[in-house]
Amino acid sequence: MTGYDVYSIFKGALSTISLSLASIALGVPFGLGCALARWYRIPVLSPLVISYVSVVRATPAVTLALLIYFALPDVGLSLDAVSAAILTLTLSTGAFNTEIWRGALMAFPRDQLDSAAAFGMSRAQSLRLVVLPQVFHAALPALVNEMTLQVKSTPAVAVIGIVEITRAAMRVGARTYDPLPPFALALVLYSLIVSAFVIAQRTIERRREIAGRPA
Amino acid sequence: MIDVSAVRRLSRGALATLLIAAGLSAFSVSAGTLDEIKARGMMNIATEDDFHPFEFIQDGTPTGYDTELVKLITANAPFKLHQDTIPWAGILPGVTTGKYDMAVSAVLVTDARKKTLQFASPIAESTTYYLTKTGGTAIKSTTDLNGKAIGVEAGSAMEKQLQALDAKLKAAGGAGVKQIVEYQGYPEAYQDLALGRLDAVVNTQINLEALIKEKPGVFAMGQPIAEPVYIAWAAAKGNDSLIAYINSLLLAARKDGKMYELQKKWLGASFESMPETIQ
Amino acid sequence: MSGFAIVWQNRQEMLSGFANTVTLSALSLIFSLVLGAMLSMALNGRAVFPRRLAALYVDAMRCVPFLLFAYFIYFGLPAIGLRMDNWISGLIALILYNIAYMAELLRASWRSLPADTIEAGHAFGFHGLGLFLRIILPPVALAAVPMIGNQTIQIIKDSAFLTIIAVAELTHAATSIQTTYFVPFVSFITAIALYWMLCMVIETGVAFAGRLAEARR
Repeated sequence: MTGYDVYSIFKGALSTISLSLASIALGVPFGLGCALARWYRIPVLSPLVISYVSVVRATPAVTLALLIYFALPDVGLSLDAVSAAILTLTLSTGAFNTEIWRGALMAFPRDQLDSAAAFGMSRAQSLRLVVLPQVFHAALPALVNEMTLQVKSTPAVAVIGIVEITRAAMRVGARTYDPLPPFALALVLYSLIVSAFVIAQRTIERRREIAGRPA
Repeated sequence: MIDVSAVRRLSRGALATLLIAAGLSAFSVSAGTLDEIKARGMMNIATEDDFHPFEFIQDGTPTGYDTELVKLITANAPFKLHQDTIPWAGILPGVTTGKYDMAVSAVLVTDARKKTLQFASPIAESTTYYLTKTGGTAIKSTTDLNGKAIGVEAGSAMEKQLQALDAKLKAAGGAGVKQIVEYQGYPEAYQDLALGRLDAVVNTQINLEALIKEKPGVFAMGQPIAEPVYIAWAAAKGNDSLIAYINSLLLAARKDGKMYELQKKWLGASFESMPETIQ
Repeated sequence: MSGFAIVWQNRQEMLSGFANTVTLSALSLIFSLVLGAMLSMALNGRAVFPRRLAALYVDAMRCVPFLLFAYFIYFGLPAIGLRMDNWISGLIALILYNIAYMAELLRASWRSLPADTIEAGHAFGFHGLGLFLRIILPPVALAAVPMIGNQTIQIIKDSAFLTIIAVAELTHAATSIQTTYFVPFVSFITAIALYWMLCMVIETGVAFAGRLAEARR
């Protein structure tokens, strides 16, 4: 491996991180929107969300990436590789986030909504001031867990030519015919990125335990 | 009652974010005729990322025979190039669906492909060979491929040629190829041949010679498995204006000898008796 | 649409890809569940060294994406003198990877088992492996069924990555058909429909097992 090869794998790591963050930034609110559509039982949208979650949860990210990038032009929607990658990862994490948000919303006591109404809050106000803060608190650990899984599914977009860590390592291995060193470096980089999320998750859980202990 | 409209706005907002992210860079899909390409000032082309020496990535930038040739001939064209480097599986479907105006890739000209693609003037000529490991191999000729595992790129013309060879071997009373292993790209196939998971790999003579030069002592050239074919860039069927224009540029590069120079540089030989067009 | 006709003509290839996906997933599920149960014994055991080692293994697998791990097994095994074909390498990667996840979810389920169940087992003279197999495993496994179901869906999805190391599974078949006949949309939609059906079957199975567990109580 030359210095440039090492540099190219680090550059791939940067692209893995950006793709993960972009899809998390889009997928978390998107999941919330879908979950709210189900919680409020909005006609048309609610059944749409149910089928979206059911299908996408069952679809491998690789297959979804191939569909979005290679097949959507067939029906008139052509994306460049980066947009297709972000869309793939957002849709796939969005399906899981929908279920997480929905679980938190189901546990939310609906009578608080009536109290909020009694205080003269509008629906939008009660959603923003009463529902979301509590639901966010409940959903956070599961959301961070899903983010960890999300980072691990980013190599899926290597099949549409995105040069993230895995594909960068593949290219080096293909040129040098010695794939183990670049893959070892790639494994180390992934472990560093994922462990950052795992540490965040454990910190949140520990704080919860301390906060939850009786005084 | 629940205030549905607020939520609906919210969900629409989330959907819109998603669609905007996706839509911003979405360009209109239509097989770009020459006029359309001139109007948008950009020709969208697709190359593969690992098909040495025709196209590959060196230090982060695409290079190889196809990349240099297309740059050379379009240097004075009234449009810029937008080059996407993608896996082979996306290239030809990308052209037929209109995502790309042209596959600037080493596409082997076959009769089946002529039904959906329009080929430009040929840029090289090659024959498909099989490749084995050096030393101790039991494969001395194509008939020895009976009962062997052979690797090839999925959806390539070489795969079709290998299937035809398989049929021929069986017709001659042989066992036929034991297994045709389809790869998404050639690097993994070469790797598996070196590791002994495959007995042979088939690809064009040009690719294989470049490989042997790069990795001396590991691989040995076998025999041809099919008739020679031309290699050409491809646009969607019916895109005559674009093909006519690219052909004029390619033929000019033949006349002043620049194409032959690039062929010698990348392919190790020049092909000076190819036909001017492919019908 | 002619795309459907082309995919229908090639249904043999699509179905054999589907069969490979099912076989790979089923074998991975069985082996990773059995071996994962053994690993969870170490995770919950009293012996310090095996426990640390098991925890290290689980953490390592949780930090690594499956595709990269599969590549590593695929290229790494020959380096230590083990040469297996693509299919077997892919299967081994799926199993080794999922042992960690199965062990972790069985451990969590074991943790929530009331202590008096185990004490009662001791009182009836069960020890060691006998205690584990007869007393601990049945309620733990039943309680973990929904989690195991989720992980099975994960296994099926991960198996799609094996297309990159030329394992002829479902996504591989869809890619092969679309690159040959240029029918990307229908090929991938068909593949996704098959994945979805498979996952529906698993979810139905999990729901059925849940009702069974209710009845047992």
